Amino acid sequence: MSRAFDITLLLLLIACALAVIQTKDLLGAVVIFSTYSLIMCLIWQHRGAPDVAMTEAAVGAGVTSALFLVAISKTVRKEK
Amino acid sequence: MKRALTVALLVVVAIPLLYAVAQLPQHGSPMTPPYTHISPRYLEKGPEEAGAENIVTDVILNYRGFDTNGEVTVIFTSLAAVCAVLLGSRKGDERPAGEPSSSAVPVSDVVSFVVRLLSPLIAIFAVYVMLFGHISPGGGFQSGAILAALVIVTTVIVGRKQAEALVPVRIRRLLQVAAPLTFFVVGVSGLFLFGDYLAYPKTEGQMWLATAWLIVIGIGIGVGGAAVLASIFWTMGDDS
Amino acid sequence: MNAVEAILRALTVILCAIGAFYFFIGTVGMLRLPDFYSRTHAATKCDTVGAGSILLGLMLMQGFGAITLKLIALTALLLLSSPTAGHALARAAFRTGLKPWRSPEHTEGEDAT
Repeated sequence: MSRAFDITLLLLLIACALAVIQTKDLLGAVVIFSTYSLIMCLIWQHRGAPDVAMTEAAVGAGVTSALFLVAISKTVRKEK
Repeated sequence: MKRALTVALLVVVAIPLLYAVAQLPQHGSPMTPPYTHISPRYLEKGPEEAGAENIVTDVILNYRGFDTNGEVTVIFTSLAAVCAVLLGSRKGDERPAGEPSSSAVPVSDVVSFVVRLLSPLIAIFAVYVMLFGHISPGGGFQSGAILAALVIVTTVIVGRKQAEALVPVRIRRLLQVAAPLTFFVVGVSGLFLFGDYLAYPKTEGQMWLATAWLIVIGIGIGVGGAAVLASIFWTMGDDS
Repeated sequence: MNAVEAILRALTVILCAIGAFYFFIGTVGMLRLPDFYSRTHAATKCDTVGAGSILLGLMLMQGFGAITLKLIALTALLLLSSPTAGHALARAAFRTGLKPWRSPEHTEGEDAT
């Protein structure tokens, strides 16, 4: 059961990573990237590393997304 | 001729490298030194030897203190460089000061109220993570990230000018180097007290001092990380 | 004692099932609904009702104790933050000029945009 959960999360992670590369809309890519961070956070927590999970949730999903959003708002939204 | 020489040189270099790789212990094998001596030692003796119940904190701040010291210095130097680059690119088009937030959508009352309601709780959580990193999961980096997220959310609500006015630039510069600075201070005091850079007290009666130093380093890293991440956000979000 | 435990367990299962059902509905809504506003509405339902009832079920399973207190705090946070996020999204979309979707029959009579 635990193994199935792990495998599902890892597959979702790979799907998210591919989606980030494929998405042309940079805003959408940032949202998918924060989803990636949240899945990664779940994986860390499930592997018994709450410290890393906390960092991943705060930095990966929170601060980095905010910085990316500001960067997009200062440049352009669409990938050329 | 030249090509043959190149190939020969590559082969000569490759053979010792491949030999060295073949000599390495198998990746993930339970017979490698980390699994036979080091992990059990950390797990068993960590709390009494290094001064923190949370073994992750023991390892990154005490057993591997040098690594973390260098890492923190590198990370914070690069973050300061990012700040400098962003600041430099901003100099050209200086906007008139005191202009209110020019975003397309004014801040909603509901969002503002909920953020005001929740931000003290977030702050308490960040301080808890910072101060109790030696007992529960967490520590300096984590609390720094949480504090930075809090600062960013508050900036969105009250506007950049007001939020930035809370931390004057002169103090901000000091806060940004807080993490390497605390490491340096703790390391040098170890040099004077125990004869080695970053030496921690080892004897039974002095463990409280080791714990105190772990907490001090945690506070330094947390405050420094929050300051740097918030400054990057403030510097980037000039006209938003 | 045993009967009480059985009832609590049954309630937990029912509440978790309700939560899972709402998550399913929310996901279907995200995929099927026509415009941004209705999709935001579906997603917010997911978070509040779905996650809320799952947390309630977990509280019933745990009984009184530290974990239940944490779950209550979590539920309060969720019930505060998720509608706020939905509100912020919808408001930002409306203020930047995104028109809500109208069904084709309605728009025929008016200016068809």
